Amino acid sequence: MQGWIGKPVRTFYAGDSAQPFSLGGNMAKEDRPEGVNRREFLTTASAGVAAAALAKPAAAQDASARMAAATPPSAAMEAMENDPPEGYSAAEASEYFVKHPGSDFMVDVIKDLDFEYITTNPGSSFRGIHESIVNYGGNASPELLTCPHEEQAIAMAHGYTKAAGGKPLAVLCHGTVGLQHASMAMYNAWCDRAPMVVLGGNHYDATERRTGVEWSHSAQDAARVVRDYTKWDDTPMSLQHFSESMARAYKIAMTPPMGPTVVIIDGHLQEAEMHGTPPTIPGVAPTRPPQGDITALEEAARWLTEAESPVIVVDLMAHDQDGVDALIELAEALQAPVVNQSGRMNFPNNHYLSQGAGVVAQADVILGLELYDTWGTLNTLRDRVHRDHQRIARPDARVIDIGVKDLFTKSNYQSFQRYNRADLSIAGDAQATLPTLTEQVRRQMSSARQASNASREARWRSAHDQAKAASRDAARYAWDASPISTARLYAELWQLIKDRDWALVSDDSQQSRWARRLWTIDRHYQHIGRSGGAGLGYGAPSAVGAALAHRAEGRLPINVQRDGDLMYVPGVLWTAAHHEIPLLTVTHNNRGYHQEFMHLQRMAARRQRGIDGSSHVGNELNNPAPDFAKIASGMGVWSEGPITEPGDLRAALSRALDVVDQGEPAFVDCVCQPR
Amino acid sequence: MKTTKTLLSIFTALLLAQAGSAVAQDTADEGRELYMANQCWQCHGFEGQGGAAVRIAPTVYPFEAFAQFVRHSNLMPAYSPNVLSDEQLRQIFEYVRTMPEPPALEDIPELSDL
Ligand SMILES: Cc1ncc(C[n+]2csc(CCOP(=O)(O)OP(=O)(O)O)c2C)c(N)n1
Ligand SMILES: [Mg+2]
Repeated sequence: MQGWIGKPVRTFYAGDSAQPFSLGGNMAKEDRPEGVNRREFLTTASAGVAAAALAKPAAAQDASARMAAATPPSAAMEAMENDPPEGYSAAEASEYFVKHPGSDFMVDVIKDLDFEYITTNPGSSFRGIHESIVNYGGNASPELLTCPHEEQAIAMAHGYTKAAGGKPLAVLCHGTVGLQHASMAMYNAWCDRAPMVVLGGNHYDATERRTGVEWSHSAQDAARVVRDYTKWDDTPMSLQHFSESMARAYKIAMTPPMGPTVVIIDGHLQEAEMHGTPPTIPGVAPTRPPQGDITALEEAARWLTEAESPVIVVDLMAHDQDGVDALIELAEALQAPVVNQSGRMNFPNNHYLSQGAGVVAQADVILGLELYDTWGTLNTLRDRVHRDHQRIARPDARVIDIGVKDLFTKSNYQSFQRYNRADLSIAGDAQATLPTLTEQVRRQMSSARQASNASREARWRSAHDQAKAASRDAARYAWDASPISTARLYAELWQLIKDRDWALVSDDSQQSRWARRLWTIDRHYQHIGRSGGAGLGYGAPSAVGAALAHRAEGRLPINVQRDGDLMYVPGVLWTAAHHEIPLLTVTHNNRGYHQEFMHLQRMAARRQRGIDGSSHVGNELNNPAPDFAKIASGMGVWSEGPITEPGDLRAALSRALDVVDQGEPAFVDCVCQPR
Repeated sequence: MKTTKTLLSIFTALLLAQAGSAVAQDTADEGRELYMANQCWQCHGFEGQGGAAVRIAPTVYPFEAFAQFVRHSNLMPAYSPNVLSDEQLRQIFEYVRTMPEPPALEDIPELSDL
């Protein structure tokens, strides 16, 4: 990985950075005058900013204008800055006007952290910073993205960071009600280890609150509502406190295990005039992720090289392509199969060592890398009246578990899964740890073991080819069916995108994993992984957030969108249209909450009541069937559908792609088989 | 004479076979209705192609295995005779058994290309 300074930063994971770095934002460090702290610089320069603000319409005040304005003020500008406006006494002017609101400084801090966008739903608890972002900051780096729901704002940030190699977004939420709406999406981000910094408005001083709504939207402890699933939060009492807490929030969010952090910004602090010593911006030197203990890794390497059938299972590991490449090295050194549980895109699915979950049963040593659920990897629990479990792994299989899960410190929500006693448990970020482990494996591998690699390779190549052939064969069934088979949906899509730089910004788990079974996925950014907490309403907005990240790279993002998920925050389609985010959305529309149909059916069978005639209750999204194409076009998105005949699909998708190629979102409603 | 007899028996056999296939067809039709009403398609797909659960059509295994799977499976919810009678189960079996084969791989370029 190259250094960070002085180039557009695309990789944000600090694990393999060769040099210390600092974030510059659009106001890069070198743009700053030598020896002048940023705040002092801006206080002297802000008269120029104010003059520019008066002379130019707000829309024209882009970041470059703001930077150009940061030159020593002329005498006339200084007068305008210091004298009360014409017709006002100094005392009266101080009642009406603020020259240097605290939120301007907050914007400096945010810019310094290099947030490109802030997703938001507007609210008066942050009207101060809202205005600063727009007028003082020129609405560029960060640019505000309008979201009709806070759940959407968070999920967009969640999707963005995974598609942008770990670069985080900031989110601005209205006090109390905004954070309440944001909370489920933050839970997903927490479970999925997705970093973001969430800013929440609030009014602390009760005597300063406007009557009515400002009281309803204020809280004693505003971040409490989301504290169970955020890594850290703070409520700064001064601008200096804000500046330092933002740096800390950024660092903590970005240090594995990554996750959301929260900074509450007091309304008064935003709106009041800055006084006294100018606050400073400390900057950030991102924390290098923790790596596994070297002695433990030596032992792990010994187990792996001595094992007859080592198997690697990987889930939430790769932060970027470097993680994928590091895993290829380890897997090839051992000629060990890799089971990708796909919390991230960890391993190319066209690599011959990419194997199905079945290989876990043969393993004598299992290496788990950032497993969300180690117990569930080794065992299965039957969904019967008595929930008994069986071990899938061999009774004598030894388990090495490398990851950051033991570094989580919250307990209320039980996303940590059933306890599993590993034989060798190593705390550390797996991606950061892999190179050392691979080096140890190479060092410890005997020549006899090395010699066995050729036959191992042949074996896995053949198994890989067989699995691929089986997937193609399975995709034939229901090929011509209406509703359209999910296999056909993915096969048709593939024909149109395979020669392009595409990225799947949705999870194909509910479509029988057809992307992973039929497509070639060999780049980290091509598959976005799961939602984390399986909280619905994640799919559509995370796809738009990811598409935003891909827009900067000129990639073609594809979202296969479940109907039930879309019904939570369909307003995100409007955001995509409004902010011109190119994205092809194709529905996997099975006209219902299919997962729940199956649960109801299981209950009815268990109670011997049968399901004939009753399964739709509470589960169907039909009668009337939502007209998703109309909904999309009502949001300003080009759309077609419902498409029910497989023969009509390709042409519709191709028309939609023409629209996406023009830089806009497009939507095809495709009525599909249940899975 | 022998020829007449032979012709007659062929004719009878054909008639019987036709009647038999008509019965089988009725059974399959009823099986289709049951397959839909009992929501077998939720997990196995409208064409029995599989999805949340395994592919079950066109079925190649015998009825006994099918019944065992429905009544005493490890994975799927058990459907007791109180919910689906043996007769109904047989009708569903007939339906999935007689579903047509999908096109061959060579005839689907989208897949054979992969
Ligand atoms: C916020 C939330 N509410 C309810 C659920 C329970 N739930 C799990 S899957 C599911 C059905 C989802 O429907 P859809 O997105 O259309 O996917 P399908 O199962 O139909 O493929 C529901 C309601 C959930 N996971 N999250
Ligand atoms: Mg659905």
